Amino acid sequence: MQPWNLQPAHDTGLTPNERFRSVRRESGLLESLAHQVCFSLLRTYFAVAHRLSIVGRDKLPAHGPFVLAANHCSHLDALALGASLPPHHRDRAFPIAAGDVFFQTKMTSTFSAIMLNALPMWRKNCGPHALADLRRKLQEEKAIFIIFPEGGRSRNGSMMRFKHGLGMLVAGTDVPVVPCGLVGTFEALPPERGFPRPVSIKVLVGDIQRPHRLIAGRCER
Amino acid sequence: MSQVTRERLFGFRHAFDDRVTVVLTLTALSLLLLAPLLIVIVTRTGNSSSEKEKELWDRYRSWIWLALCILLPILAGAFWTILAVATLSFLCYREYARITGLFRERTISLIVVVGILLLTFSILDNWYRLFVALFPLTVALIAIGGLMPDQPKGYIQRVGLGVLGFALFGSALGNLGNMANDWNYRPILLLIIFAVELNDIFAYICGHLFGHRKFVPNTSPNKTVGGALGAIVLTTPLFAVGAHFVWSSTALDTPVRLLGLGIILSIVGQFGDLMLSSIKRDLGLKDTSKLIPGHGGILDRFDSLILVAPAVFHYVNYFVGFAVGQQQQIFIG
Repeated sequence: MQPWNLQPAHDTGLTPNERFRSVRRESGLLESLAHQVCFSLLRTYFAVAHRLSIVGRDKLPAHGPFVLAANHCSHLDALALGASLPPHHRDRAFPIAAGDVFFQTKMTSTFSAIMLNALPMWRKNCGPHALADLRRKLQEEKAIFIIFPEGGRSRNGSMMRFKHGLGMLVAGTDVPVVPCGLVGTFEALPPERGFPRPVSIKVLVGDIQRPHRLIAGRCER
Repeated sequence: MSQVTRERLFGFRHAFDDRVTVVLTLTALSLLLLAPLLIVIVTRTGNSSSEKEKELWDRYRSWIWLALCILLPILAGAFWTILAVATLSFLCYREYARITGLFRERTISLIVVVGILLLTFSILDNWYRLFVALFPLTVALIAIGGLMPDQPKGYIQRVGLGVLGFALFGSALGNLGNMANDWNYRPILLLIIFAVELNDIFAYICGHLFGHRKFVPNTSPNKTVGGALGAIVLTTPLFAVGAHFVWSSTALDTPVRLLGLGIILSIVGQFGDLMLSSIKRDLGLKDTSKLIPGHGGILDRFDSLILVAPAVFHYVNYFVGFAVGQQQQIFIG
C-alpha cells in the first residue's frame, strides 16, 4: 500500500482572520466555489461593460505553476487578468495584492481571500522569508500568481521601473513567467477615480519567459 | 403538512411545554450568569497568570455564543434544530477534512457534502428509510468517486477517510437530527447535550481529584481511570433522573433501563473524546482548528457528542421509538 501521503491543510492552527491573511491558506470546497462564481461574474462584467478581449490566450501554460506578470495602473488589472484565465485555472490563481490596502481590516481581508483568492504582499516589510513562503506555495501547490512587477499602480498610466520582487521570487526555479499587457484599464479606472468607465479593455498575453538563467542569489541573502 | 407537524417544525410557542426544558434552559442561563463571578474568584484567589485568565474569559465568551447556538434552534422548532445539526455536521466534516488532508480530494469531499445534504433532507422529511439507505449508498458513491482521478495509489486512504468522515459526521451526528422528529424532542436533546458536557466536566474534575492511574497515556496523557469512573458515577444518576421525567410512563422508565442509558452515554461520550484525541495525536495536532476562542475547533468541543448520538438514539428507539405517531415523508407525501 502507498505510504500515507495526505497532509493537514498548511493553514491548520491559524485563526480565521490569520488564515485569510496568510500565504499558507488553502481553499476548501466552498471557497473554491466562491472563487469560481466571483471570477465568472467578473468575466461577464468585463465582457459586457468593457468588451474584454484576450489576445494570445493559447500561450498560457496548460497547468501551474506559472506567474502572470503585467503592467499595473488600475484596481481593475488583477480582476481583468483573473477573469481572463480559463475556469480550470481559476482555483489555483492567486493575485498578489498589497497587504496594506487589501488585507488591512478583517472585512477587506475576508473579501480579498474568499472572493478573489488574493495573497498579501506586505510592501514595507517584505523580507526573504515572505518571498520564500510565496515561492514554496507557487511550486508545491502548482499555483498561478498574478504579479505586478512595478510594485504599485502607475499614477499616469505609463510603466514604471520594475522592483526586484518578481526576479527574487522565480530566481533559481524553472517556473515560467508569462508577460501580459493590459490596455484600457487605466482609462477605465485610473487611481483617482472611484467607479470605472465603460472603456474597452484588452489583455495581451506574451511569450513564456524561463527564469532559469537568473541566479538564486539575492533572494537567499 | 399536518397542523401537528407544522407545530413541531416551527411552533416556538411550545418551547417551554415540558418542565425539563424549562429547568435545563434556566440552569444553562444561570450557569452563564454565575460563571463570571466564579472566574473572578478563581483568578483573584489563585495564582493564575494573565494568560490563564484571558483563556478563561475567552472560554466564557465562546460559551455564551455556543449556548445561544444550541438553545435558540432547539427552542425555536424542529426545523431549526435539524438545520443546526446539519450545520454542526458540515463544520465537523470541514475540520476533519482539513486536518486529514481529505479536503484536497475534491470529488470525495463533494460526495460527502451531498450525502450530508441528502441526510438532512431525509430527516426534515421524517423519511427514516431514506436516512438508513443513504449510508450504504453514499459509501458506494465514495468508493466510485475515489476511482475518478484514475490513480490507484492512495485509493484506500482517500476512500477510507471519506467513509469515516461520512459515518461520523453525517450518519452518526444525523441521529441527533432524527431525534428532532419526536414531538417531545426539546427536553431529549437538551438533556443529552447537557449530560455530555457535564460528563466532560466530571471527568476533568474527578481526574484532578482522584486521578492517579493513567487511562490511555499514549492517546491522551491527561485522562485517568479515576476521572473516567468518576464521570460514570456522577453522570449516570443525574442523566437517569432527567430521563425519568422525559420518558415517564414509557417502557424505558425503569431504574435499570434508565441507569443503562446513563452508563452508555457516559462511557460512549468519553470514547468519543478519546477517538478525537487519537485522530489528533496521529496527525500531530493539538487542536482541530482555532474557530472557537479558548476551546479550539468545533470538533474539539463536540467530539463527545458524535458517538453518543447513535448510541442513545438506538437504545431509546429499541425501547420506546422516536417520532411515534408523527407524519412521515412530510414533503414527498
